[in-house]
Amino acid sequence: MRLPQFDYHSPDTLEGVLALLDEHRDNAGVLAGGTDLLVRMKHRLAAPKVLVSLKHLDSLSYIKETSGMLYIGAKTPIIDVIRSDRVQQQAPALVQACERIGAVSIQHYRGTIGGNILQDNRCIHYNQSQFHRSGRQPCHKDGGKICYARDEADRCNSTCQSDGVTALMALDGHLILNSTRGERRVALDAFYTTDGIHPFDMQPDELLIKIDIPVVPGAVSAYQRLSYRSAIDYPIVCAGVRLVPDPDDAGCIGSARIVVGAMGRSPLFLAKVSQSLAGMRFDDNTAFEQAGKDAMNAAATFAAHNAGADLAYRQAMVEKMVGRALAHAAGQVSTRKVR
Amino acid sequence: MQTIDMTVTVNGQKQTLAVKPNDTLLEVVRDYLDLTGSKEGCGEGVCGSCTVLLDGHPVRACLTLALEADGSAVTTVEGLADGDTLSRLQQSFIDHGAVQCGFCTPGMLMSARALLDDKPSPDRETVRRALSGNICRCTGYAKIVDAVEHAARPEAGCPDCRSKDTGGDHD
Ligand SMILES: Cc1cc2nc3c(=O)[nH]c(=O)nc-3n(C[C@H](O)[C@H](O)[C@H](O)COP(=O)(O)OP(=O)(O)OC[C@H]3O[C@@H](n4cnc5c(N)ncnc54)[C@H](O)[C@@H]3O)c2cc1C
Ligand code: SF4
Ligand code: FES
Ligand code: FES
Repeated sequence: MRLPQFDYHSPDTLEGVLALLDEHRDNAGVLAGGTDLLVRMKHRLAAPKVLVSLKHLDSLSYIKETSGMLYIGAKTPIIDVIRSDRVQQQAPALVQACERIGAVSIQHYRGTIGGNILQDNRCIHYNQSQFHRSGRQPCHKDGGKICYARDEADRCNSTCQSDGVTALMALDGHLILNSTRGERRVALDAFYTTDGIHPFDMQPDELLIKIDIPVVPGAVSAYQRLSYRSAIDYPIVCAGVRLVPDPDDAGCIGSARIVVGAMGRSPLFLAKVSQSLAGMRFDDNTAFEQAGKDAMNAAATFAAHNAGADLAYRQAMVEKMVGRALAHAAGQVSTRKVR
Repeated sequence: MQTIDMTVTVNGQKQTLAVKPNDTLLEVVRDYLDLTGSKEGCGEGVCGSCTVLLDGHPVRACLTLALEADGSAVTTVEGLADGDTLSRLQQSFIDHGAVQCGFCTPGMLMSARALLDDKPSPDRETVRRALSGNICRCTGYAKIVDAVEHAARPEAGCPDCRSKDTGGDHD
């Protein structure tokens, strides 16, 4: 399958990349590992006239910890996250999520964490070859006025199926974006629009530089996902959770973050369900099961029928994913005690 | 359309090529260098038949721009044998009946090569994981996993392990 034509640049410096993005804006595409972008270009779903490669920006590939923050450069390959003892220690949910991304030969060495976060939302009716799509009317995201995933939808509800970002949102991750206009930091749970055509609140001249994750003493985290074929299919539902102990009673949950992924245009941070766990004990499995049920009810309305599995099944599985992620995270507290 | 010069070392040989920006690494090895071992199955990253090693790591050649490999070393399936002498891994595929139509084989071999370079004596589960991104429509995978596992560690009870070619100490 041929790629469409484009001009290719691989600047040696960050400034060089930002200048090109500023110059070409909507006509430019950032090329990290290419494992999302090039597929969409082959399907003629994206046709940037200029590709700006991050090939030479090795300065954006690192994992480090300073003053209570874990920093991961946007170009860090997935394999480096998986193999990082530091991330395993401070943010196990992210390692678990990255381990589940596709397969070794697809993403581990080419795919980047930045590309994983910024991969486009997906829909089984849209992410298809040009030939497949030519057989029917275009949907909203393809420039038309209908939606195949949800009757009467006035907008696109394509699904965010990134594994990494669901874990990162649970870990309270923030993105640091840079452009010739300067730098800004944005919380992941404030980064999404309500439109699946342009899911990110991001300008075309902006580059993702790094992700930061607060290192919270005693915090535990976990990630669970469901997909058909583990190596080549995206998650049809997933969940990331982080539990922080009460400073006065280490056996008690002080605060929780529950995020459900692959069920909406963005990962869903469920604030109310998360709050309900404050004050519960780490071995209170009934509370986790209840949180799973509440999460299912809270997340159910967001999903559209576009991830290749029966919608009711995906909804039902939210309960299992959240319940299991909570139990896994809490399990880290008990093993810590045994040590 | 504009062409750009690039230098890439393929199977140990340095090549200077003028490629188009939208050429993939797969198109360059197959169409420019006539190394047609690597196969295009899906062209969209799903099947793994295009897997090559880029600086020693397995990648999808169909999802890698040729220009992204500028300055790198690429190994394709043609780089595994020493002249007419097959590598131990290749011979093991033959001995174990791990090749039927053969379309997936180049990709399987490259994923397996990368695994064995990293972990010379992997257990079965590790082999299965390393090959999980490579699809085979013929063999049912068991023979392929045997071939990789036993290439590293011939198994006494395995009727397909041949001492002569797989370096095992049994017959
Ligand atoms: C067969 C297959 C299976 C897959 N399975 C999964 C899966 O299970 N889970 C999953 O999460 N993903 C999956 N993916 C998607 C993809 O491979 C991964 O998300 C990967 O991590 C993307 O990273 P990349 O560097 O290759 O992204 P790229 O394709 O390079 O980039 C993705 C998008 O982000 C933009 N971008 C990248 N970096 C930056 C930056 N620093 N600043 C601004 N914009 C940027 C690009 O312009 C592009 O639009 C799969 C892909 C394939 C082909
Ligand atoms: S959710 Fe609807 S509009 Fe969006 S890509 Fe799918 S079919 Fe198209
Ligand atoms: S041809 Fe590259 S993965 Fe199928
Ligand atoms: S041998 Fe035919 S696809 Fe694997």
